[in-house]
Amino acid sequence: MKLDPKVKRIILWSIVAAIVLGWILAYRWDADQTTAVASRTVRAAAPLLLGALCGVIGERTGVFNIGIEGQMLFAAFVGFMAASYSGSLLLGIAAGVAGAMVLGLFLGWAAVTLKMDQIIAGTVINVFALGFTSFYYVQGRTMPSFPSWSVPGLDGLPLLGKSFFSNPPLTYLAMIATVVVWIGLFKTRWGLRTLAVGENPGAADAVGVNVIFKRYVNVTIAASLAGFAGLHLLQSANSFDRGMTNGQGFIALAVMIVGRWHPFGAAAGAALFGFCIALEAQLQFNDALDIPPQFFGMIPYVTTIAVLAIAGIRARPPAAGGHPFEKE
Amino acid sequence: MTGATTAPDTPAPSGPRIDVGRWMRPALVPLVAIALGLLLGAILILSIGENPLDAYGAIIEGAFGSPDAVGRTLEKATPLVFGGLAVAFAFKGGLFNIGGQGQILIGAVFAAWAGFTFDLPTVIQIPFSLLVGGLAASLLGALVGWLKAVRGVHEVISTIMLNFVAANFTEWLVNTSGPFADPPATNPSNLARTPLINSSAEIPHIGGLPLGFFFSVVVATVCWWLLERTTLGFEIRTVGHNRHAAAYAGINVVLLTILVMTISAFLAGLGGAVETLGVTGRFEPGSNAFLGFAGITIALLARTNPLAVVPAALLIGALQAGTSLMQARTGVPPEIVDLIQAFILFFVAAPVVVLWIIRRRGQEEERLQLTTGWGG
Amino acid sequence: MRRSLKRMALGLSAVAVVGFTVAACGSSGSGSGSGSTATTAQKPTNCAAPENYCVGFVTDVGKIDDKSFNQSAWEGVKKAVAEQGVQADYIETVSQKDYATNIKTFLDQKYDLIITWGFLMGEATTKAAKANPKTTFIGGDQFQATTVPNLTGITFPEAKAGFLAGALAGYMTKSNKVGAVLGTNTVPPVVQFKEGYEAGAKYANPNISVKSTYHPGGADVAFTDPAFGADTAKQMLDQGIDVIFGAGGKTGNGALAETAKKAGAALCIGVDSDQWLTVPEAHPCLMTSAMKLITPGVQKLIAQAKDGTIKAGGFSGDVGLAPFHDFESVIPADVQQKITDLTAKVLSGEVPTGVKQ
Repeated sequence: MKLDPKVKRIILWSIVAAIVLGWILAYRWDADQTTAVASRTVRAAAPLLLGALCGVIGERTGVFNIGIEGQMLFAAFVGFMAASYSGSLLLGIAAGVAGAMVLGLFLGWAAVTLKMDQIIAGTVINVFALGFTSFYYVQGRTMPSFPSWSVPGLDGLPLLGKSFFSNPPLTYLAMIATVVVWIGLFKTRWGLRTLAVGENPGAADAVGVNVIFKRYVNVTIAASLAGFAGLHLLQSANSFDRGMTNGQGFIALAVMIVGRWHPFGAAAGAALFGFCIALEAQLQFNDALDIPPQFFGMIPYVTTIAVLAIAGIRARPPAAGGHPFEKE
Repeated sequence: MTGATTAPDTPAPSGPRIDVGRWMRPALVPLVAIALGLLLGAILILSIGENPLDAYGAIIEGAFGSPDAVGRTLEKATPLVFGGLAVAFAFKGGLFNIGGQGQILIGAVFAAWAGFTFDLPTVIQIPFSLLVGGLAASLLGALVGWLKAVRGVHEVISTIMLNFVAANFTEWLVNTSGPFADPPATNPSNLARTPLINSSAEIPHIGGLPLGFFFSVVVATVCWWLLERTTLGFEIRTVGHNRHAAAYAGINVVLLTILVMTISAFLAGLGGAVETLGVTGRFEPGSNAFLGFAGITIALLARTNPLAVVPAALLIGALQAGTSLMQARTGVPPEIVDLIQAFILFFVAAPVVVLWIIRRRGQEEERLQLTTGWGG
Repeated sequence: MRRSLKRMALGLSAVAVVGFTVAACGSSGSGSGSGSTATTAQKPTNCAAPENYCVGFVTDVGKIDDKSFNQSAWEGVKKAVAEQGVQADYIETVSQKDYATNIKTFLDQKYDLIITWGFLMGEATTKAAKANPKTTFIGGDQFQATTVPNLTGITFPEAKAGFLAGALAGYMTKSNKVGAVLGTNTVPPVVQFKEGYEAGAKYANPNISVKSTYHPGGADVAFTDPAFGADTAKQMLDQGIDVIFGAGGKTGNGALAETAKKAGAALCIGVDSDQWLTVPEAHPCLMTSAMKLITPGVQKLIAQAKDGTIKAGGFSGDVGLAPFHDFESVIPADVQQKITDLTAKVLSGEVPTGVKQ
C-alpha cells in the first residue's frame, strides 16, 4: 500500500493525538486507575526498551544479537548473587553489568573472529545462560532492595508525575539511555562510523574505520544495556528466580523491529507493549468482562502483530546485519 | 545465504589429511564437538563437588541401560526430530522459525481433539488425527508466511508472538469448561486437560519401541528427499540462498515463503500430534514445554540437514532421558544437560576450535552460515 | 611427523569419548554425591533390606527449593528422617512426561514408600500403585475418586485457608480494597485459595472490593515470574488496595516483596507454608500466611506408612493461618479473637466457605 508521505505523516500525528486524548479522558474518568496503569506501563516497558536498545546498537553495527535473553538472565543472576553475598547493591549492579558484557564480548568473538553464524552464537548464549544460572542457583538468599527516587517538583504533575518521575533508578536509566543512544548514533562521530560499519563495512574499512574493533566494542557496550534490562527485572522482583526473563529478551527483539532499529521507535514499541501488559492486569482487576485470563494474556502479542501487519511497511534493517566481515 | 555452504573440496593447505573416508569427515566435527562438550560439562560437575563419571554413567544407563530405557530415549527423541526438522526446513528456505513451541502445542491439542472425538478404525484414525494436528499448526505457519511475504512482518517476531498466543489459546481450550476440556465425570480433580484419546488413535509401541520414532525417521527422510531431489526443494533452497536472485530467475518468492513456513509449521505440529497420540494420550498444558527451543538447537547441531536431525535428536533425547537416574544417583542438577547442549552447539558452529584440535586449518567450507539478515 | 600428531589427536578424541563411556558405565552404581541443592547427606542404600525404610520423593515440574509447595513437603520428609529414622531421597521432575520414569527409578531401587507431590501426578501415581501393590504410595494434592489399597492421597481444603486469610484482610483493610496476585487458574488449589479469599473477605466486610489477578501466561511461567508479581502488586497498591494475598509461587513472592516496600501503609499475606520463614524480604508487611499444614501432614503419613497404620484413600490435611510473628502487636486484640473463633468454625464446617470443591 503506497501512501503519500504527507498522508502518512497526517495519519501518524492523528494517532499520537488520539493517544494523548485517550489518556486525558481516562484520567478524568478515574485518576487513580489511569495513573496506576501509566506507572505500570513505564515499569513494564523499561526492561524491554533497554533490551531493544542493546539490539539496536548491535544491529546498527552489523551484528545480530538474539542472545539478549541470555544476557539479561545472566546479568540478573550475577547481579543478585553479588549483591546478596556482598550486601552492596552497587556492587551487584556493577557485577551484573559486567556479567552481561562478558557475554557480549563472547558474541563479538564468536561473530567477528570465529565468524560463527550469529543466530547460533546468540542461541548458545541463551541456552548457556539458562543452564548456568539454573545449575548454580542457590536457594534462600536475599539482596538489598533498590530505592525509589522521586524527582522533586515534577513528581507532583498529574498522571506524568507518578508514572515518569517517581521510579527506581534503572527505570530512569532506560529513559536516559534512549536519548543517549539516539545522540550517540546520530549525532556523534562514533555513531556515524557505527552506522557506516553496519551498512557497508567494506566502504567503512576503505576509509580507515577499524571494522573489527568497532564491532567488538559496540557489541560489548550494547550488552551492558541488556545487563541493565536484566537488572531491571531484579529491581522489580527483588530476588532471582530460574528463567525469570520468561522470553522478554525475545520481546525486546520484537520491540526493536517494531521501532525500526531507532531508539525512539523502540521507546514507542516498548511503551505499546508495556501498556498492553498494564491494560490486561487492569481489565482483570475490574472483572471487566467474563473473559478468561488467558485471553487477556494474548492482548500484547496480538496487538504487536496487528500493528506491524497494518503498518505494513517493510522494515529495512542495516544492510550488513548478520554477515561477518571479510577484509579484502 | 542459508544452509550449509559446501564449497568444492579444496585440498588441505599442507600436511596430512585424514583418511577416514569422505562420509566420515562431516561426522568428525560433531563427534569431537560432543566430546569437548562433555569434557566441559565434566568440569562443571566437578566444580560442585560431584563425580562426572558417576553422573555420565547414570545418564548412559538411564538412557540405554534397559529396553525400557531405550524406549524412553526414543520417546524423548521423537518430538525433537520433528522440532528440528521444522526449524531446519525453514532455514533451508531462508526463514527462521522460532515458533516451533506454539506450533507443537496447536498440533498436540488438535490431534488430541481428533483422537477423542472420532473413533474410526485405527488404520484411518491415526493418520487422520496426525493430519488434523499437523494442518492446524500449519495454519499458524501460513499466517506467518503471509505476514512476511505480503506485509513485511519479520517471521522472528510473528513466530515469537504466536508462541505466546498459542500457549494461552491451548490452555484456554482445555481449562475447566473450555471447549476441549475433560468433563468432570472423567476428571474429578478438575484438571486442565482434554479427555483421553480413544484407543483407536493410540500410536502403539512395538517391542517396547515407540512407533512414532520410526515415523519421525521416515518424515526426516522425506524432507531430505524433498529438499535435495525435487524441483520444489531446489526452488526452496534457491530462495534460501538469495531471494532476489530467485525472483529474478522467475521463482514466485511470495508463494514459496508461505509454503515453506506452512510446511515448517506442519512438521512441528506433527511432532506435537505424535507426542499426544504416542506418549501422553491427551493434551495438558505444560506437557510440551521447551520442545520448540530444543528444536532450534537440534537443527543447528544437524547443520540444517534433515537426515542429521535424527542423530542429533537421539543425542539430546538420550541426555534428557538419563537425567532421572542421574538425579537419583548423584546430586547433579538436571540443568547440566542444557549446559552440555550449549557447549556442543558452540563447538559444532565454531569448527575452528575443533579443527584446530584435529589440525585442519582453513577449511572454509566447514563453516555453517544460516543468516540472511532481517531483511531477507 | 605432522601426520602422526594428527592421528594422535584424532585418536585421543575417540579414546576420550569411548573412555568416558566405559569408565562411566563401570563406575555407575557406586555414586554417592552431595550436590549443592541436595539436602540429605546420604543417599539411601540397600533399600531391599527390611531394616531400611526408604522414602522416595518425586516433585512435580519445579524445584525442591521453591520456598513453598515442594519445599514444605520435603521438610516433612526430612523431619521423618530425623525422627522416624527413615532414609530418603528426591528427584526433581523436569518434564510432565517423566512422572512414570521418576517413580520407576525409585521402584527399581526397591524403595518402600514413594511420595509424589503434585495433583498432575495423580494418574501416574495411581497407575504405579496398582502395578506395585507391595510399595506404599502417597500422593500430594491428589484427590482419590476411587480407593487404591496402597495409595493415600493427601489433600488440603485450600478454600478454608483462603477464607481465613480473606477474613483477616477484610478486618484489617482501611481502604476497603484488598487484592490477590495468583498463579494460574489451571491449578485447582490456586482457584480454591482465590475463591476462599474472596468469600472470606466479603464475610468479614460486606462493603469490601476484592481484586484478583491471575498471571496471564501459561502454567510453565505463571509461578516463576516475580517481576510480574511485583509490578502487579504495585499497580494494585497505586489504586488504594492495602492488603495483598500472594498465592502463586515465585510470582506471589514478588508481590509480597513489593508490598513490603510500602510497610506501614500496606499488609500482605503469604500462602502454602509460613512464608515468614522463607521470604524474609516480606517481613515488613507479612501478617500471616494461608497455610496448608503440609510438613506435619507429610511427616504424620510417613510415620503411619512405616508402622503400617496408614489408611488408603483420601486423607484430609489441616489448614490454618500462620502465626502473626511481628504483627502480633499490630493486629488488634479483638480481630485476633474473631479470627481464632472463625478458624474453629470454618474448620469444623459451621461457617461454610461457599466455595465449590
